[in-house]
Amino acid sequence: MSAALRVRTLRELLVVIVVVFGVGSIAMLLAHVSPVDGFAQLVDGAFGTPEEVGETLVQAAFLLFPALGIAVAFRAGLFNIGAEGQLVLGGFAAGWIGAQLPLPAYVAVPMVLLAGAVAGGIWGAIPGFLKARFGANEVIATLMLNYVATLLCTYLVTGPLQQGGATAAETGALPKAAHLPDLIGLLADPQPTLAYLLTPFALAVILAFVLRRVLLHTVFGYELRAAGDAPEAAKRAGIDLGRTALVAMAISGAIAGLGGATIVAGELHRFNTGLSAGYGFIAIAVAIVGNLDPLWIVVASIAFGMLQSGGIAMQAEAHVPKEVIALVTGLVIIALAGRRAVANRRTT
Amino acid sequence: MQALDGVDLELVRGEIHALVGENGAGKSTLAAIAYGAVRADTGDVEADGVVGLVHQHFKLIERLRVWENVLLNREPRRGWTIDVAAARDRVRALAARYGLAVDPDAVVETLPVGVKQRVELLRELDRAPSVLLLDEPTAALAPSEIASFFTTIGELARAGTAVLVVTHKLAEVVAYSQRVTVMRGGRIVARHATAETNAPDIAREMVGGDVPALARRARTEPAPLLEVRGLSARSRVSALDDATFDVRAGEIVGIAGVEGNGQSALADALAGVVPFDGEVRFDGAPLAPNDTPGQRIARGIRVIPQDRRHEALVLDWTVRDNVALGRQRSLPPRAYAEAAREVIARFDVRPPNPDTIAGALSGGNQQKIVVGRTLASAPKLVVAYQPTRGIDVGAAALVQSRLIEARNAGAGVLLISFELDEIFACADRVLVIAGGRFVGAFDRASVDRGRIGALMAGDA
Repeated sequence: MSAALRVRTLRELLVVIVVVFGVGSIAMLLAHVSPVDGFAQLVDGAFGTPEEVGETLVQAAFLLFPALGIAVAFRAGLFNIGAEGQLVLGGFAAGWIGAQLPLPAYVAVPMVLLAGAVAGGIWGAIPGFLKARFGANEVIATLMLNYVATLLCTYLVTGPLQQGGATAAETGALPKAAHLPDLIGLLADPQPTLAYLLTPFALAVILAFVLRRVLLHTVFGYELRAAGDAPEAAKRAGIDLGRTALVAMAISGAIAGLGGATIVAGELHRFNTGLSAGYGFIAIAVAIVGNLDPLWIVVASIAFGMLQSGGIAMQAEAHVPKEVIALVTGLVIIALAGRRAVANRRTT
Repeated sequence: MQALDGVDLELVRGEIHALVGENGAGKSTLAAIAYGAVRADTGDVEADGVVGLVHQHFKLIERLRVWENVLLNREPRRGWTIDVAAARDRVRALAARYGLAVDPDAVVETLPVGVKQRVELLRELDRAPSVLLLDEPTAALAPSEIASFFTTIGELARAGTAVLVVTHKLAEVVAYSQRVTVMRGGRIVARHATAETNAPDIAREMVGGDVPALARRARTEPAPLLEVRGLSARSRVSALDDATFDVRAGEIVGIAGVEGNGQSALADALAGVVPFDGEVRFDGAPLAPNDTPGQRIARGIRVIPQDRRHEALVLDWTVRDNVALGRQRSLPPRAYAEAAREVIARFDVRPPNPDTIAGALSGGNQQKIVVGRTLASAPKLVVAYQPTRGIDVGAAALVQSRLIEARNAGAGVLLISFELDEIFACADRVLVIAGGRFVGAFDRASVDRGRIGALMAGDA
């Protein structure tokens, strides 16, 4: 299945880009905006000032974690639509643990991130287990678990696990020690907005390199990809498909959960039920555009981060409705899926 | 590839006409051309009325109900909607008229094979064909179902339909047909009124007469490597019942039989893909009935699957990565390239490039990769299921000679093949399988080709 969504040639990629810009332009024309102005504002809004670059990279990071998780599941032949829920639950676990542990930073930060990864991992492992044990469709299970995760977090944070001092649907504030360190501040004179925001992006990029190595150069990665690309052949080659599904989904969820934890520890400094602006869903497009290859997903996440941060400027300055961005995101998926459907029709 | 060469065939209303021949003789191609699904390069097909074809592999939509399948695209309508009540009645009436009992509302996937066959047949009968082509119609039926099936077909013929039955099973030919045509290698080699011939003669005509000379090779007589006692198993497509046999180290045991008679159940049971009943010992220790494929591989049992494209290869991957498949736990990733180069050299894979995508190779070269990587792991037992299916003569000869080399080096080889020639060329002993049971055993010295052909056809 993963092979079906991967771009094989540069030409295919160019076609996708042309389609996206073409239809994006038409949409802007329909909104009575010059496409040139619209796209110029988009780029300017995303990269015009250091703060905007920082915001673009922070958006990229928040997309990059769930996208990497989704890619792992995809490579194993599993459609993880549940990154949103895994991310939210990871964020909750990070926020709840972080708010009540008065620990030094070198313990607190890893603890907070680990809590997010574990919670997300468990949330991903549930559909993995259902798939392995009962053959349950992971698309439906992960999709449904998104709602369960969101509602569960709302319930916990306002009910049994409510923390003193918190108002509304959020945990208490994280102590300073549990905040992600300010990467640039460690190096030189801190540039406040850019500074702390870069840490999640740096973490995600490191993770991308590690994942790529694991997928392409380890026995585990080999078996995972075989299970995804040719399950029947993989089974007969001694690969346990059920176990692979379980482990892949757990890892996938853990990475998304880690993403939730970085939002909490890096930006919000507390868990809030509204912490994700649909990152787990947009990340599906990021993973697909990134060709399910961790390093290309980094590139794709920057492009989508640009759409996210620049889209706001585009709306404010060029008066392009923000929905155009959603339209472009959807187009990317349709362009890629449609390209494959056309190719299939030609060969049969 | 030319499947048919200058074939003339005439079907007459009121007759059941049997078309027999070995796998690859061209029977199914001929039926497909007569139906219009395949176009002939030269020549004509004429039919007086509608031609119906019942496929060997059912073409039913499993999730739909019986009536939906039978009336697909011919549903009775009421305005914009399907008239379900009328549809049900039509299927019920059709079933009653031909004595094919079936519930119109049953979902096809819940039905046993014999009933699915009825659904398939009803779908063609609803079109009131004047010519009915049946491709291996009894391959999936139990003996009791076969008799009632032919009773129905006989009535249909008497009512004025011309019926062609494509089959391997000579007992059925002799019992139910009025006329028989024998094909071999894409040509018609004999035509008879069924009353004027007999099963052994037809068998000889099918397989080409005399037994070919067998190349002699020295054989040692060590203790059995694989001891199978009363093995029963069921795969997705066939079932095996109460099989008992041995395979010794250093010999090739050939399993001769027509497709669908239990071979895939045997291969899958040994591969660990399906569980089995019965007792199996391998290399001095029992084989657990519920082993995973990985556990069987660890014991030294390697299966070359029948369907290389789906069961053996990852078509999107390079040759290098495919060569490692099945050995990924024992071969470090940095050794894949070297392992691929060895297989490429030993099996003359073209192009000789480990970075070629497997799906871009020809069938013969794909199969060389599969056989090559299997033998490179030095297995104790090789189960080769149709190892030369659909590949050219040169590649087939290479694969066969490599299997014989593995035998000479001390491996046990179980060769499951639908091609008698292949079995006679390679096997030290031949076991015949029909209807999910072993029905005959021959040593290479006492091989009787006509007798094996008759046993394969279910004529015990």
